[in-house]
Amino acid sequence: MSGELKITQEVLPEYVNMGLSGEVDISSSQIFKEKLYSLIEVYSRSIRLDCTGLSYIDSTGLGILVGALKKTKQTDHTIIIKGLKENIKKLFYITGLDKIFVMEE
Amino acid sequence: MENIIDSVLLTLPAKAEYVSTARLVASSIANRIGFDIDEIEDVKVAVSEVCSTFVKKTATSCEYIIQFMIKDSTLMVSFKCPCFTGDIFADEDEALASAIITALMDKVEFHPNSETIISMCKSIGENV
Repeated sequence: MSGELKITQEVLPEYVNMGLSGEVDISSSQIFKEKLYSLIEVYSRSIRLDCTGLSYIDSTGLGILVGALKKTKQTDHTIIIKGLKENIKKLFYITGLDKIFVMEE
Repeated sequence: MENIIDSVLLTLPAKAEYVSTARLVASSIANRIGFDIDEIEDVKVAVSEVCSTFVKKTATSCEYIIQFMIKDSTLMVSFKCPCFTGDIFADEDEALASAIITALMDKVEFHPNSETIISMCKSIGENV
């Protein structure tokens, strides 16, 4: 199993690159939320989420993304989501979240 | 063809760290029935969403029971939680979970205030 959530970060002039691998579910969502929110607050720039290694995200994780997007919009920034696997992309389509995030292959 | 229903019961503590156990069991059973990889993923995600909602809405001392019933190429999954009464997806916070479950399974039924709180089923080859 590709279980445990691993998070990486790289601060660039225009945005923060946050890499996710493993699973975001109810047991790892608090760590994910704290990390994502603190990056938004500390660096006040757009977030580019590299989800190439992300194997699973549940509605708890999607809810955190929506909250984080609202937070970035307050400073005219955004969240770019990159490299989603097909199974996760499907959840974005079902929930309509593909229309509110900037999605990159 | 025999008309047998196999039943698998899984009782889990309402703790976040056990939701992945439900996902593993759901995937294993869906695979056993012969669902393809996308359908297995659908079952796994739907089961996990219900489990997470129980974890959020009940105390960690509670338990919930998942019953998987397999009949030919159909999987039925029902959830009971003696600690919980009411409509599990009534809150606005659960709208995403509810949308996901309803989209991924062929049929979902909510039973507020009864012993079985939610039941859902999926058959091979009826992908949306």
